[in-house]
Amino acid sequence: MTAATRRPRRARRLRERIGKGVLYACLIAAAAFLLVPFFWMLSSSLKQNNQVFTIPIRWIPETFKWSNYVDIWTKSGMSDWLKNTMILSVVVTLLQVFTGSFAAYGFSRIRFPGRDVLFLGYIATIAVPWQAYMIPQYKMMASLGLVDTLWSIILLQAFGAFGVFLMKQFYETIPEDLSESARLDGLSEYGIYRRIMLPLSVPAIASLSLLMFVTTWNDFLGPRLYLRTPSNFTIQVGLKVFQADPQGSSMYGLMFTGSVLSVLPIAIIFMAGQRYFVEGIATTGMKG
Amino acid sequence: MKKTTLGMLTALATAGALTLAACGGGGGDESTTPAGGQTTSGAQASVDPGAEPVTLTLAGWSLETTPEFQVLADAFMAANSNVTIELKEYDANDYGTLMLADMAAGNAPDIITIKEAKALGQWVDGGQLLDVTDVVSALPANVSGAGSYTIDGVNYAAPYRQDSWVLFYNADLFSQAGVAVPDGSWTWDDYATAAKALTANLGGKKGAYEHSWQSTLQGFAQAQTPGADLGGGQDYSYLKPYYERVLDLQTSGAQETYGNITTNKLTYQGQFGKQEAAMMAMGSWYVATLITQQASGEADSFTWGMAPIPQYDSSTTGTDKVPVTFGDPTGLGINAGIDSSKVAAAKAFIAFAASDAAGEALAKIGILSSVSSDAVTAAYFAQAGIPTDELSKFAISTHDTRPENPQSPNIAAIQTALGEAHTAIMSGSSAIDDAIALATSTIQSEIG
Amino acid sequence: MSTTAIEPAPPPTRPRKRRSALRWHNTLRGWSFIAPNFIGFAALTLVPIIILFYVSLTEWGALGDPKWIGEENFTKLFTRDMRFRTALWNTLYYTIVHMPLTLVASLGLAVLLNRKMRGAAFFRTAAFFPYITSIVAIAMVWNLMFSPDYGPINQILRFFGVDNPPGWTVSSTWAMPAVIVVGTWREMGYYMLLFLAGLQTIPRELYEAATVDGAGAWSRFWHVTVPCLRPTTFFVTVMLTIGSMKVFDLVFVMTEGGPGRSTLVISQLIWQQAFAEGDFGYASAISVVLFAICLVLTLIQFWVNRRAER
Repeated sequence: MTAATRRPRRARRLRERIGKGVLYACLIAAAAFLLVPFFWMLSSSLKQNNQVFTIPIRWIPETFKWSNYVDIWTKSGMSDWLKNTMILSVVVTLLQVFTGSFAAYGFSRIRFPGRDVLFLGYIATIAVPWQAYMIPQYKMMASLGLVDTLWSIILLQAFGAFGVFLMKQFYETIPEDLSESARLDGLSEYGIYRRIMLPLSVPAIASLSLLMFVTTWNDFLGPRLYLRTPSNFTIQVGLKVFQADPQGSSMYGLMFTGSVLSVLPIAIIFMAGQRYFVEGIATTGMKG
Repeated sequence: MKKTTLGMLTALATAGALTLAACGGGGGDESTTPAGGQTTSGAQASVDPGAEPVTLTLAGWSLETTPEFQVLADAFMAANSNVTIELKEYDANDYGTLMLADMAAGNAPDIITIKEAKALGQWVDGGQLLDVTDVVSALPANVSGAGSYTIDGVNYAAPYRQDSWVLFYNADLFSQAGVAVPDGSWTWDDYATAAKALTANLGGKKGAYEHSWQSTLQGFAQAQTPGADLGGGQDYSYLKPYYERVLDLQTSGAQETYGNITTNKLTYQGQFGKQEAAMMAMGSWYVATLITQQASGEADSFTWGMAPIPQYDSSTTGTDKVPVTFGDPTGLGINAGIDSSKVAAAKAFIAFAASDAAGEALAKIGILSSVSSDAVTAAYFAQAGIPTDELSKFAISTHDTRPENPQSPNIAAIQTALGEAHTAIMSGSSAIDDAIALATSTIQSEIG
Repeated sequence: MSTTAIEPAPPPTRPRKRRSALRWHNTLRGWSFIAPNFIGFAALTLVPIIILFYVSLTEWGALGDPKWIGEENFTKLFTRDMRFRTALWNTLYYTIVHMPLTLVASLGLAVLLNRKMRGAAFFRTAAFFPYITSIVAIAMVWNLMFSPDYGPINQILRFFGVDNPPGWTVSSTWAMPAVIVVGTWREMGYYMLLFLAGLQTIPRELYEAATVDGAGAWSRFWHVTVPCLRPTTFFVTVMLTIGSMKVFDLVFVMTEGGPGRSTLVISQLIWQQAFAEGDFGYASAISVVLFAICLVLTLIQFWVNRRAER
């Protein structure tokens, strides 16, 4: 190797390094920008109730009220709420992923009359605001005796069109040849779904699971309407207990303490779960 | 193929129709037969002690921080051993929505608390509330607020609580600024002058705090201006002088601007309790909150007092007159679908809640009863931490309280349109006249 | 094998023999896949929605029986209701700006963060955080940033010589742009996640082949990434459009539809009509119109997508 070839290479390396530095600086600035409200929430969770909303805003509490993090466990049903939310999120996610991916296979890989109209109908219902039909739906649930049970939320959330649509779009990126050759090998449609489609769609299933989990975890309106006994509350409903009507006094400090605690499990799941949808499992799988 | 789709649709349509029918049956049938012959048994304040045991359910909200429901229930049960009252808790902020859903599903409790008078019309139209005219007409004359629950001459609830708006002031800040504390003679112009004088002498703190709600301004204009007609839908120009005054206070810096209040989500408890402002018009419910917060250290400790709310003009000022203010009552109605064997006990309970005994029990926990009597006032001012000067007592006990939401079929639509005008004017994005004109035309197209 | 894999999925084709028997067979099999989801969906969502369509032709206060009034709600909606017109316009405004903005931002984030680099996991989590942060906290902090007098945004604008910076959430002109910015900021991490999953379906060989052919990064993005992401992009576009047309909670916590009615959107109007004014028939009629608009938009997107497929 001559000196002449080495110099541009060194220059390029330097340029790459500078580029990387700039990239990281930008990313860190962007991350700060994205995390500011969370930081404010964290700071408010350590404040007294009357010091949460002030002019000018205080980013660091005047006095740290660490006891908020003790009080929320002892003075509220936080542990019940956490348990209920966890049960709901897990069950709803499992049901949605299973029924959604199963139905998506029918919509994307099997031709039958009326399929496309049905699919369009599925998606179009997403456009109807829930508030507009929540009363008729509530009456149905009430006549089944499901009000104030976790079942109502499971039924409400588990069969949405979202998962079906997401999985269908993903299946369309998997080449039909794969299933065709499997069919020639004598695999049934159910076999193709289980042996070929499911393993190949791990990134989609991972992202669907995560999104469903988060949606159920943070869902407010449905649980607010259906869950009435404090021991049946989810976290989001429970936290509203701290927010009084205009005539009362709200416990904003505790409310944000609860908000911080409710974000943490999701952040952990997200950190841990991302390798399933960013590490190119599908690509390696398809090579076979 | 066509058959399958068609079959499916038919099945769905049938299912839908069935549900509708089932739903209609739940609410409709019960409501059309509002326990007819029971009306005679009402109005008595207690039930025969030897009677059958009865269990009543009562709607409440935020039970942990709102003890009034338990207090009423306990006091009633102590006098009526055969009656058990169970509380059913609702969320304070979504009470109306949740109650509506429960009524639709036929799950509402026996005794329905009327949190917002605005919702009453819808419930009555839906046949959800029992006619309790017999109970209300038998209430003593010193009970106020029943008019808020009267539609076409029929009473649907009895008021047990009546808050009204007064002027809270921080006496320490007043003396620091060298401004004389309110003496009951103020009109709104006196209030504005004092707010400016306070601001000039307080070095950074505001003279007044006016919360961002629509009612904080429109409630007074509506109650105090002669000839103001909220439900009429014709003329809302009476709001103008009130807005001009407040906009002037904002521009001169004597009160926090609407923009800063909403963008910083300021709370009135924080602004007054942390001494950011020297005076504040607020409902009397804040008395109990302020006492609690001063005791717990959430609010600073300072000397405070209450004065009658400033008046439209001098014809109603001074402690020898009756100041005009506003406030909606809180009341109790009876579910039209209640089991007929419980009606007598339910009527006895709502009558009890508007009695002297209940008023005193409520006053002890800082709740202003709909009953006004010397005993109730004395019990109210026996609370620890409450100011006991004469003017505070006058402000709490003497007032002509007009309803914020007088019963009118279009009250909700009217308030929505005027609410839009409020945010448009207060934020400065619309001129007063334009915003009022737009609201008026919206209301007229809604009514017409 | 791997070269055929890159083609956008061809529509399923089947041998053309024994058609009717096969058709019957397929219908049965298709439904067997769809049924578990469909039964729950039909019972809990479809039936109430069908009831809603019926209610839109009635006068109904949620209590008692609906009273049939035919097309009266729709007549009022299209001829007299100025508030509906404003809400519709505001909603379209929100959708038209928010949709492309979020699409570009989330795709950009996904491409930027779809690489092996130190801290990528942290940055991806940070991008997702706005979506999971309490909406009250978001409204608080953003309102504060937009605060006309003390807010950092206006301080920066003043620094750069803007004498009269906008009032943002307390100005009827600037409230909607402010809400759109926050909406995009909040949702881009959510859609980034979907794009990240979509990016994994693109075989690396394609990029390698493109690099061998001398394509630069930009050209690879346009000629490999974008076409291969089409199914995901389609999904994101449809969901974003519907989501924007239904926007509610964010607007509500930020401005409550104000000042005046400058950020009043359709979903809030539906809520007001139903729960504040007790007119469920009218609220249902507005929902039906919203449904119809979304259906048309979705159909257009399907049609465009089909054409791109060929």
